[in-house]
Amino acid sequence: MSAHQHPHEEQDFLFKYVFSQDHKMISKQFLITGFIMGFIGLSMSTLFRLQLGFPGESFWIIDFLLGSWAENGVMLPDKYLALVTMHGTIMVFFLLTAGLSGTFSNLLIPLQIGARDMASGFLNMLSYWFFFVSSVIMLISLGVEGGAASAGWTIYPPLSALPQAIPGSGLGMTLWLVAMAIFIASSLLGSLNYIVTILNLRTKGMTMTRLPLTIWSFLITAIVGVISFPVLLAAALLLVFDRSFGTSFYLSDIYIGGQVLEHSGGSPILFEHLFWFLGHPEVYIVLLPALGITSEIVSTMSRKPIFGYRAMITSMLAIGFLSAIVWGHHMFVTGMNPFLGAVFTFTTLLIAIPSAVKVFNYITTLWKGNIKFSPAMLFSIGLVSTFISGGLTGLILGDSALDINVHDTYFVVGHFHIVMGLSGIFGMIAGVYHWFPKIFGRMLNNNLGNAHFWITIVSSYGIFFPMHFLGLAGVPRRYYTNSEFPLFENLLDINTLITWFAILAFAGQLIFFFNFVYSALRGPKAPQNPWKGNSLEWTTGVKHIHGNWPGEIPTVHRWPYDYSKLNENGDYVTGEDFIPQIVPLGEGELDGGGH
Amino acid sequence: MTTISLDNIKYKAEIRQKTAKPLLWIGLISIVMFFAGLTSALIVSKSNSIWIKLEVPSMFFISTILILFSSLTYQLSMSFTKNNQLKFATITTILTFVLGISFTVTQFYAWQQLYQSGIFWAGEQSNPSGSYFYALTALHLLHLFAGLISLLVVVTKSLLKKYSPTNVLGIQLSLTYWHFLTALWVYLFFFLKFIA
Amino acid sequence: MIALVAIVAVLLVIATAVQILKIAELRATESGKEIYEISAKQSKAQAFLLMVFLVAYFGFFAWQVWKWGGLMLPVSASEHGVGVDELMNITLWFIIPVFIITHIFLFWFSYKYSFSETRKALFFSHSNKLEMFWTIIPSVALTVLILVGLSNWNKIMTPISSETEHVLLEVCGQQFMWGARYAGKDGKLGRASVEYIEGVNALGIDVSDENSKDDKIVKGEFHLPVGVPVQFVFRSQDVLHSAYMPHFRAQMNCVPGLKTQFNFTPTITTAEMKEKTQNENFEYILLCNKICGAAHYNMQMNIVVESKEDYEKWLAEQKEFGAE
Ligand code: HEM
Ligand SMILES: [Cu+2]
Ligand SMILES: [Cu+2]
Repeated sequence: MSAHQHPHEEQDFLFKYVFSQDHKMISKQFLITGFIMGFIGLSMSTLFRLQLGFPGESFWIIDFLLGSWAENGVMLPDKYLALVTMHGTIMVFFLLTAGLSGTFSNLLIPLQIGARDMASGFLNMLSYWFFFVSSVIMLISLGVEGGAASAGWTIYPPLSALPQAIPGSGLGMTLWLVAMAIFIASSLLGSLNYIVTILNLRTKGMTMTRLPLTIWSFLITAIVGVISFPVLLAAALLLVFDRSFGTSFYLSDIYIGGQVLEHSGGSPILFEHLFWFLGHPEVYIVLLPALGITSEIVSTMSRKPIFGYRAMITSMLAIGFLSAIVWGHHMFVTGMNPFLGAVFTFTTLLIAIPSAVKVFNYITTLWKGNIKFSPAMLFSIGLVSTFISGGLTGLILGDSALDINVHDTYFVVGHFHIVMGLSGIFGMIAGVYHWFPKIFGRMLNNNLGNAHFWITIVSSYGIFFPMHFLGLAGVPRRYYTNSEFPLFENLLDINTLITWFAILAFAGQLIFFFNFVYSALRGPKAPQNPWKGNSLEWTTGVKHIHGNWPGEIPTVHRWPYDYSKLNENGDYVTGEDFIPQIVPLGEGELDGGGH
Repeated sequence: MTTISLDNIKYKAEIRQKTAKPLLWIGLISIVMFFAGLTSALIVSKSNSIWIKLEVPSMFFISTILILFSSLTYQLSMSFTKNNQLKFATITTILTFVLGISFTVTQFYAWQQLYQSGIFWAGEQSNPSGSYFYALTALHLLHLFAGLISLLVVVTKSLLKKYSPTNVLGIQLSLTYWHFLTALWVYLFFFLKFIA
Repeated sequence: MIALVAIVAVLLVIATAVQILKIAELRATESGKEIYEISAKQSKAQAFLLMVFLVAYFGFFAWQVWKWGGLMLPVSASEHGVGVDELMNITLWFIIPVFIITHIFLFWFSYKYSFSETRKALFFSHSNKLEMFWTIIPSVALTVLILVGLSNWNKIMTPISSETEHVLLEVCGQQFMWGARYAGKDGKLGRASVEYIEGVNALGIDVSDENSKDDKIVKGEFHLPVGVPVQFVFRSQDVLHSAYMPHFRAQMNCVPGLKTQFNFTPTITTAEMKEKTQNENFEYILLCNKICGAAHYNMQMNIVVESKEDYEKWLAEQKEFGAE
């Protein structure tokens, strides 16, 4: 059999690296763009943490980096809000939606289901380029007159609609909206491709119940995205109309800057409904891929099948479904009908059940395993920990009666950073450590990886755990400083401590970036199957080729979790502790976890 | 053993056969969600006290009939192609395109009617109830433009005799989208007439 | 200059790190292994660190409670708030043990089953019984939480009936201050709208409305009588605000174009709270808890809770709107 041969092997640089339609290259593009955005978002948080930890103190670095957004080394109050808004937007959408889903859905879907590429390479390429353009516009908005969007990542009108209310609602907000519209297009194009590829292009034998959990999580994420992102687009569009054409969908009875506005008849609450119809599912768009990735890693590194494969899928489906009917828990104190509030409390707390099932299944997977602690595995354990720590406080916030007093306080900031921010980041980083050999054909350095993990988990709990206490002391979020209230006088120590941890967290990520760049260029060459995994991506060569497999795509004969399976004599069936999916079932052997 | 390469034209066509329709369908789902979002927004806004009930302009009846007809002609064109009556197919496709353009024209007339009866898109005298009328219909029209472009492609290709009874995927996709636009319009029409 | 030195320093650090990595790789290859391979010893070391982390994490939690527990909001100063605090405690008594137990299992298993060349992992793929068990247990616990939670919620959200004696108070948000208006003798608030805002009439009250004549507008602080239910009505003139009164476990958004409501009964006077918190300067406070612009962080109004007599005396001193 001759190896894969193209008539025109020498592709142009432009088509190989820039306008590539190859899913592996697109995945790399998403990863690198996402990380650059993530680094910017992270730096922003470190900067505004300086202000919160040392309110009013002058910093050279703030002057240097923020320029006209600061005065004498202290950032300006409205620019603080601009930073918070951009930080939130970048982290949630650019790093943890596009960066996470874009990278791993693109990399793993074709490789793990046994396809040569995505259903439409062209749409896939468009998806990346929309993301890229959207990122660029978002960054440009940092430099425009009036500053970047400053109404919070939730951009509630009227604040986001009226430049009179805050300077960032001028050109900055316009660019934000343009960037997000393009972002949504990118996300939809991506999701279309993911869904169709998974449903239509699986290789022979790859039934739905033989799919790795990663693929299931990407599928559910994509479906949730297709259903909820268009609604955000609708919400944003009506906001654009209000801002630019003078309609009144969200605006009514406003007196600002010494005059009464013409708008009448609209309601900002409408925006909140539309926004959170996306906004909540968005949390799961971030979380589900992280859960899928870590399920795969935990199973592989424990040398055990993932416990309760079907229960894991069912819980993800349940979470995906429920995520669409809980948005009202962000609106308990908007004056909504109390009965509706009760319904939303009920649906919200229901989500705890599938989440709990997932946690217990993770833990049981570890039980009696034979666990190798690669950095990916450490981050996966970290994810289970953050998912528990952050998920439990969700029970407080989802309970309408309790939410009254903690809504929009630092308790919320602590909660969502742990359950969404940290879990998302941990899942993504775990994925990078695990599949780095597949992406770059080289290995990351383990010692640096371990150091990265320990610094990250210690500092991130150091940042976000104390925030719950701030919240319980009544500190609202999106405050430039807490020093204006006698009530908060004694809390400065907590804020200072958090800031020190934030600086540590930032430093820890530098180790990772160093490891990433060094290893991508100089790291030791990867073997084909470094973690002894079962799924199909490890049957492809280390060197990337167009079409993934040189000959026929392998046929699949079993589920991907046959680790440490023994025969009647108590020996490993294949002599090794793993049986790749391409190995036919033995005589009388049951698939899917049967013995 | 033969090598399957991604650059293999036949392989590419095969993938397209397999995935083009599902891609379109899921795209349609996202458009449905977009309009579901907008129409539920209208329902939420309606509970506001100063909501004004509006009459649908009479032009919308005509546009509804036009678009229903266009779906019919497009469907006919599909059957003609399948029966290898390519000339008729081309004629009916062009007819569909003309009907689509007429639909667009009637929409503009309808907006004029609205405007003349004092219902404004924006500004001091506008009310969200009126703005929704314009917004929903205009956004539908925006999607229709995409349909018109696809029709243009089909018209050109059938003039160039690119289609045959076994090669109808392109028409099929455009047709599905066009039917979808019709259904969406009928939904919006009844929604505006009875709910708004 | 500083920047230059910094850049050189960073480059040096990177160069050193690259060298160290290279040497480490060479040493590994010499010993016949690949550097990325994870030995049982290395796994064990990480597993040990995980145990250390578990203890440190719990320790950190306990330290925070010990160190900052006293800085939290004091006991609830409203009637319904007591129920809210109770509910909070019930919830905490549920989630903290779950937090601790799951973490112990997670980290203990990680430690115990860390890699060894000789052990074989157990092929254990599912168990309907176990999975049933941990679907049902959380369901039952959640049912309890939901029931207690909703009974509180319904109580809090029930408006005060017009027959019971109560104070009717409107709070209006604007960038970046609060205005408060008492309904006056007639117990009715006069009509208000942004259209009427002019000069001193900053709250936009309709002068021609009979009900507004005896309304009383106050600035800087407002007073409440202890033990009497207060019906709040909230408005906003410009953007969203949120009226947050943490000591009363009360919060409601202020929405332009919409009136929202909340009610509570204060139970502890400011003076009593000063004693309870042993803080001479203690004040109840109303603050803004919805991002509303540059000075969102500084939008406050003091609340004074006092005996009914003191309250009435204070209120009598306030000017009626029509008197101006
Ligand atoms: C070391 C890392 C991080 C630090 C120190 C940090 C810190 C903060 C702080 C202090 C706030 C609240 C600011 C305020 O309310 O005034 C905030 C807001 C936020 N952060 Fe982070 N964060 C970090 C990472 C992340 C990650 C990974 C995510 C991803 C989900 C994220 C998402 C958000 C969002 C959505 C907001 C809300 C923005 C808003 O209020 O509009 N952050 N961050
Ligand atoms: Cu939510
Ligand atoms: Cu505010």
